[in-house]
Amino acid sequence: MNMNDYHAEFEKITSRPYFSDKINGSRTKAFEKFIKSGIPNRKWENWRHTDLSIILKEKFRVPEKIDAPNNEIDLKDFKIEGAHTFVIYNGHYQESSEPLPEGLKVLTNLEYLERNNWGNNSIEKSPFDLLNTSLCDSGISLVIDDNIELHDPIQIVFFCSSNDQLMVSPRINVDINKSSSATIIEHYIDQSELFFQNTSMVISLKDNASLNHVCIQSNTDSAVNVSNLHVSQMKDSRYNFFQFIDGGGLSRSNIYTYLENENAECFLSGITLSNKKQHFDTNIITDHISPNCTSHQNFKSVLNGNSTGVFNGRTIVRENSQKTDSRQSNKNLLLSENAMMNSNPQLEIYADDVKCAHGSTTGALDEEALFYLRSRGIDHKSASSLLIRGFVSELIDELNNLDIKNYLFNRFDNWLKTNN
Amino acid sequence: MLQIKNLHVEVEGKKILNGIDIHIKKGEMHAIMGLNGSGKSTLSNTITGRENYTVTQGDILYKNESILEWSPEQRALAGIFMSFQYPTVISGVNMTYFLRAAVNSKRKDNNQKEYDAASFLKLIKSKLEDVGMNPSYLKRSVNEGFSGGEKKRNEILQLLCLEPDLAIMDETDSGLDIDAIKTISEGINNYKDKSKSFLVITHYQRLLKYINPDIVHVLIDGQIVKTGTKDLAIELEEKGYGWLEA
Repeated sequence: MNMNDYHAEFEKITSRPYFSDKINGSRTKAFEKFIKSGIPNRKWENWRHTDLSIILKEKFRVPEKIDAPNNEIDLKDFKIEGAHTFVIYNGHYQESSEPLPEGLKVLTNLEYLERNNWGNNSIEKSPFDLLNTSLCDSGISLVIDDNIELHDPIQIVFFCSSNDQLMVSPRINVDINKSSSATIIEHYIDQSELFFQNTSMVISLKDNASLNHVCIQSNTDSAVNVSNLHVSQMKDSRYNFFQFIDGGGLSRSNIYTYLENENAECFLSGITLSNKKQHFDTNIITDHISPNCTSHQNFKSVLNGNSTGVFNGRTIVRENSQKTDSRQSNKNLLLSENAMMNSNPQLEIYADDVKCAHGSTTGALDEEALFYLRSRGIDHKSASSLLIRGFVSELIDELNNLDIKNYLFNRFDNWLKTNN
Repeated sequence: MLQIKNLHVEVEGKKILNGIDIHIKKGEMHAIMGLNGSGKSTLSNTITGRENYTVTQGDILYKNESILEWSPEQRALAGIFMSFQYPTVISGVNMTYFLRAAVNSKRKDNNQKEYDAASFLKLIKSKLEDVGMNPSYLKRSVNEGFSGGEKKRNEILQLLCLEPDLAIMDETDSGLDIDAIKTISEGINNYKDKSKSFLVITHYQRLLKYINPDIVHVLIDGQIVKTGTKDLAIELEEKGYGWLEA
């Protein structure tokens, strides 16, 4: 895609009759900024280890009417027990006749986003957010009013299926208001050769709100998946994020969390499983803007074949953010000599009364442990599977929803069967 | 059961064992005594098939077959077990999962029906009692946070679960107090019968107070310098190793 190609796709979107001038005005501003910045290259500090040349080389188009689903979408392999499911098909929200869970409001037009200044000013930071604002033509806002405990998880399935190379830009907005709680699962799957997905998700947690957020990326080997996540946390709010990536060709997660008021807690964790030439990149900024907040980053990767990975976790503790408690951990297991991991946990501390720690390890399977298991009659492959499972299970085990936990353990065991 | 013939072993190019001959018959218990660095652990690691232990001469026959080319898991499935001197900690793998995987791979190899979670739990609970371990251990990661004594009990627990024909006890008594040694000896004695063979490797005579080896070998500098009965162990305790080194 060169800049002229982006212009052509942008024209297509803004000429669609259903968008107001106001919305197109905001888009135009974002698009101009995008054109100015361009797609990041490896000279950009935060993009050194991720090669985006595929986006430059290949051509993509925005979805059209012909990209709507022809028949019922079969989700049986991806359905998580007990969850209420929404489908975003080729970037478009699919209306469903299923009744909504009580307490949840779903707004499917872009006006809500416009009213809220597209969720958050800060999402202009990344060119991919700007591109999302420019090209998004469908979005949903999930709104939960004050004092509501949403029991069942909400699962948003992002499904891509096309013979053409699509560029899809869904936009999700989540507002959890005071003292409310919910569980949301983002789930990426596809049946495409090559496509470029660029999702932006903007989450706002008001005072004492709590959100469990699980992101599952199970795309096929050629998918390019960029996801941009922005979380703003107010007083006493609690955010638990868990990322599970077992598919895709190139994945980049941009995670920005802002602890904007006191006693907010932000726990980010994740597992990436890669093989062949897959490249998965997790890039995090946790910004302690207020004192007395807690943040954890706990990420693990298992890499096989020629796959590569990046963990770039940055925690900023601002000058007035005293009594911050922050921990970062990144552990990586290399199953092949050709796999490579770039791990870079960073603490940037400007306050003096804080508790911060970080650590990173990367290595092969423990030979001593392998021999111990084999000396008990467990064959080499089963022994290494047992050790890999031991390495990642700790993080999956921490999830408190049993259905999600079981689903992910199943996915993990399937990955192990074919990739170890 | 086990015939070690003129065994020479090198580790990273260094000669450790220099021609060892031992013949353990079915139902026999042999003890190997020796100081640190005499080659005791090299011998047990070589029998169980650990990597980097290179046999340069000689052979090891188990039930009349050479096992030198066998993988560690093949040896284990054939009935060879080693109680580790330093049992490995395996984080994230819980005891039940590990023990069931081990027992089931043996059952699978014997064309027996594999245990499901419930039937295995029943089996394992009675074995835990035999070694004086609390069922709460089953929920923990293998050897993680276990004391020295707990680790050794765990080795005996695995012995009882896997029911080997040949058990190699590599310094099972080291670092244990008398009570733990008694419990572990009981485990060994209860398991020992006419069909099982043992090779007990130890530094001290004290374990041999509680178990009764038929034959005692003394290993110095990678060679068996003397072979005798239990009396030899008692003699060693009194005189030390010096009188044998010449």
